[in-house]
Amino acid sequence: MHSSIRPNQFVLLRLPSETTKIVQIVPNTLINCGKFGSFPANQIIGRPFYLTFEILETPGDSQSTRLRIVPATELHAESLITEGEGDDDVEVNEEGLPVRTNRETVDDASSQKLTLEEIEALKKESTGAGKDIIAKILESHTALDQKTAFSLAKYTLRKQKKYMKRFTVFPMDVSALTNYMLENRDSATKSMELRDELVGLIGSWGNVHHGGDATLQQTLSKPNGRYLVVDETGGLVLAAMAERMGLLHPDEESEDYEEGNGALEQEAPAQGGIPEEETTKTTPRTQRPSQMSATGNTITLIHANKQSNASLLKFFGYDQNNPDESHPLFTHLKTVSWLQLLDPEADPIYAEEPAIIPEAELAALKTNKRGAYHRKRNRWSRVQSVVNEVRAGGYDGLVIATLMDPESVLQHAVPLLAGSAPVVIYSPTIESLTEITDLYSTARKTAYINRKRDLEEQKQASGEAIAENGEYPELATEFSLNPTLLLAPTLETVRVRPWQVLPGRTHPMMSGRGGAEGYIFHAIRVLPTAGFIQAAGNPCRKRRKLAPTQSTATPGSTTSADVEMKL
Amino acid sequence: MASPFLTPSSSSQLDELALLHLRRDSTIPTILRLHDDGNLGYKEGNVTNTRFGSFPHSTLFNQPWGSQIKASKVDTGSRGRPPRQQKKRKATELEESASGTPGGDDDADSNKPTHSKAVAASSGFLHILCPTPELWTASLPHRTQVVYTPDYSYVLHRLGVRPGSTIIEAGAGSGSFTHASARAVFNGYPSTSADSTTLPKRRRHGKVCSFEFHAQRAGKVREELVEHGLDSLVQVTHRDVYQDGFLLNDPTTGTPSTSPKANAVFLDLPAPWLALKHLVRNPPSGGESPLDPSTAVHICTFSPCMEQVQRTISALRQHSWLHISMVELQHKRIEVKREKTGLEYEGVRGANVFPRNVQDAVQKMRVVEERSVRFRESLGQDDGAQSDNENTAANEQNTTDDTDLPTFTPSKFNDGILAHAQGRLVHRSEADIKTHTSYLVFAVLPREWSEEDERKCVEKWPSQNVVDSAQQPKGKSKKQLRREAKAQEKAQELAEKEKEDTEADAQTEGV
Repeated sequence: MHSSIRPNQFVLLRLPSETTKIVQIVPNTLINCGKFGSFPANQIIGRPFYLTFEILETPGDSQSTRLRIVPATELHAESLITEGEGDDDVEVNEEGLPVRTNRETVDDASSQKLTLEEIEALKKESTGAGKDIIAKILESHTALDQKTAFSLAKYTLRKQKKYMKRFTVFPMDVSALTNYMLENRDSATKSMELRDELVGLIGSWGNVHHGGDATLQQTLSKPNGRYLVVDETGGLVLAAMAERMGLLHPDEESEDYEEGNGALEQEAPAQGGIPEEETTKTTPRTQRPSQMSATGNTITLIHANKQSNASLLKFFGYDQNNPDESHPLFTHLKTVSWLQLLDPEADPIYAEEPAIIPEAELAALKTNKRGAYHRKRNRWSRVQSVVNEVRAGGYDGLVIATLMDPESVLQHAVPLLAGSAPVVIYSPTIESLTEITDLYSTARKTAYINRKRDLEEQKQASGEAIAENGEYPELATEFSLNPTLLLAPTLETVRVRPWQVLPGRTHPMMSGRGGAEGYIFHAIRVLPTAGFIQAAGNPCRKRRKLAPTQSTATPGSTTSADVEMKL
Repeated sequence: MASPFLTPSSSSQLDELALLHLRRDSTIPTILRLHDDGNLGYKEGNVTNTRFGSFPHSTLFNQPWGSQIKASKVDTGSRGRPPRQQKKRKATELEESASGTPGGDDDADSNKPTHSKAVAASSGFLHILCPTPELWTASLPHRTQVVYTPDYSYVLHRLGVRPGSTIIEAGAGSGSFTHASARAVFNGYPSTSADSTTLPKRRRHGKVCSFEFHAQRAGKVREELVEHGLDSLVQVTHRDVYQDGFLLNDPTTGTPSTSPKANAVFLDLPAPWLALKHLVRNPPSGGESPLDPSTAVHICTFSPCMEQVQRTISALRQHSWLHISMVELQHKRIEVKREKTGLEYEGVRGANVFPRNVQDAVQKMRVVEERSVRFRESLGQDDGAQSDNENTAANEQNTTDDTDLPTFTPSKFNDGILAHAQGRLVHRSEADIKTHTSYLVFAVLPREWSEEDERKCVEKWPSQNVVDSAQQPKGKSKKQLRREAKAQEKAQELAEKEKEDTEADAQTEGV
């Protein structure tokens, strides 16, 4: 719901060469688009997104740069004209054969009569945003009339990409950032080659959504919309979740921006957003809710290093090292390390409470000492509350995109989920996920239940008390993961195939990105009953009846003793 | 009313939707009620009967979500109702459990005491799950073609539908997309916090405006949404949108008058191009536009055929939509299993009883050869014996000599490995995949921008105002900046070159 380009916001520029570029729109600066020219940032601030601008300039006079909004009709001109001509694009002679084919095409550069120097000279004196250059080049192509409609269109397009001085402004959102990360080989691995279509699917299977507003949270029986995330994509998965939860774009909910005082905005560019807990913009600093203090609609990031890495959030106005207090993520994003989660006493920040200094003594301290004291106290209480909250569990969802072994993550994170909470794991390659799926296989589930029952009977026979939570150390050593905690484990993948749709030239794109396919594992956390339950139905009888369909549909399910146990 | 889809309580509640999960792809949606609507005469009140046992609703409510619930012993036989449809028992049972009507097949069991024994409380269970749009999509009663999870998740993501957005959906159909979009726009229930003074300026509650031209389906969707507690978020209108557009009905007069002010549009219609004329900034009729004037509007159309796509895109171009793109989604589920091949799997279901490797094959053949040599030798010894006794004698010989005959023992691969972890882990696509659902056409209609707006903007942001010192972002040295600029330039050139190359290739191929 970005309505217009705001000062100091990050945006994406799509250049004629189809490359995208992230720039921050700092007022009173010049934005450089490489060989496509440059323009003053002020000329796009306040303008709507998704428009295409043309850079018009008189050569040698940088002050004369003007941007022109290219109207939609002009962008679609070629297609609209072709469509108007009707569908019989291919001209035929009296014998019904196409007049123009590429049979006579000479495949070398000789048909272009303009030399490189001449083109360079043209570029220097060009004023028409590249259109005149393209016209000249087309003019001096000797074999232009021999080209088929298709190859002519392609030739023109190619030249346009090279010489047009145009750019389009897109708002920064998760979809755009995901695609941007993928375009570039270096950054793709940083984001674990996560593709846009999988981002959507992760969000859906993870049931990631807004947990209701602050007033609603109070009326609910429990805090709602608390998600656990293990994200090693540099914050991309986190950003995708935050976007779905209404936490990512701070200004979406208060767009009285443009009408406000321009000068004030320039000084305090990032103060536009108001988290929902706050009521007025003028709240004094001290009354702001402290970091990580939200109870519902929160994301809790579990990280493997001392500091979490969610650097991509900076494109959405949230710098982790210097968090903006007005950003919704300031209160709604909580971070906890694996050490703090599994062995909090080993973490010095959690374990060592800073000694309380009495008020009177505190007043006597120097300002910076007093500040340091408060900071330490706040940090300690923040870590205490977050760590205790995580260890108490009851989360509404778990999303994992990790470089680590997912099995170890599940082992510790699944017990923290409430019943019916979804678990989603993303992996660029399938191997780790087939292993996980296998760990929750029907055969393993059956073996686990049987082993557990054996242990129970042994304990009963020897007169020992049965563990109330149904946990046995022997079981834990044999089965690192309790397979009965997840229901309906599913492995899937999705891929988008883009098409070119031009009048008379519709076909799938000729090339695309290879690399990691990307897979998603998802399942639902359930609460198995403590007692032993036998599956119902008569498997043998049912099997025989359904034999023809069953044998083709699930040939792999035969490993287990009981077909009806397949969950 | 709070919706269990969006703000569920920690346990299942009466009169709310719960999903009874039997096995993968087999989930029964049901509204939990203690009293028995159909008066089917169960002692336990309202009962849901499934393939895996009978579940009185008294055992299902007030359970933590995700709980495993045991089946109960339900007397389905002696309720004194005349038996009917006895022959169709199986069929109705399947139907009933699929459509989710509780207490369907009941009376027929009276003549089948064996069946009621099988459904004993000693076995059978299900899991009670909290509803989500995904589970609902997988279990909903089909009325039309359903928009499945991979499609709707991508569509909503690409349309930029977020908490607080307003989306128009035309062709409510079976309601799967409706539920998913209600979740996507949700940022609080409008009725509970109508007090607009506490809300920041311009803050809106998310809303779904759903249009359906089939009266019965519209009614059904509306009914479902009330049951699911989503009626405050979704407004269902019975309307032919080709004819009458997308304005919402005035509650008092019933005529289309209010603009939904939509940020996103999803058209699942046979002829989307006929609806596009209503989705413009300034309708020629002079009426109000259904679109949000302050934001860009994203659209997606969902059509199975290429011809529909071409007409839609042509219409989109004529109505000045930008960034038109078309994609198709290929989704597949993957099955993971353990593939067991080896001579030691004799008698194991689903295993290939076949040599695991060449060594085993050679070893096995050696043994077989050796045995046949022995066999022939024994035949030779018996040459003097009577011909009619030959076979039996040879057999006897064989059995008696078994101890010193060579035997084959497969190489020990599975020692110490539990049965469920044996074999090689393999994956493959599931047997039936949807190779085509529909083509998705996306486009954007930017916000309107007039000369007047531009003039105001120029005043506010003097265009040629460039401060040199501000050109460089803080924290980076000039050297670093230069290096970065260079690298970027290089990358760009490279990308272009690649593109040109591929295009040249395509051209020479004559495409």
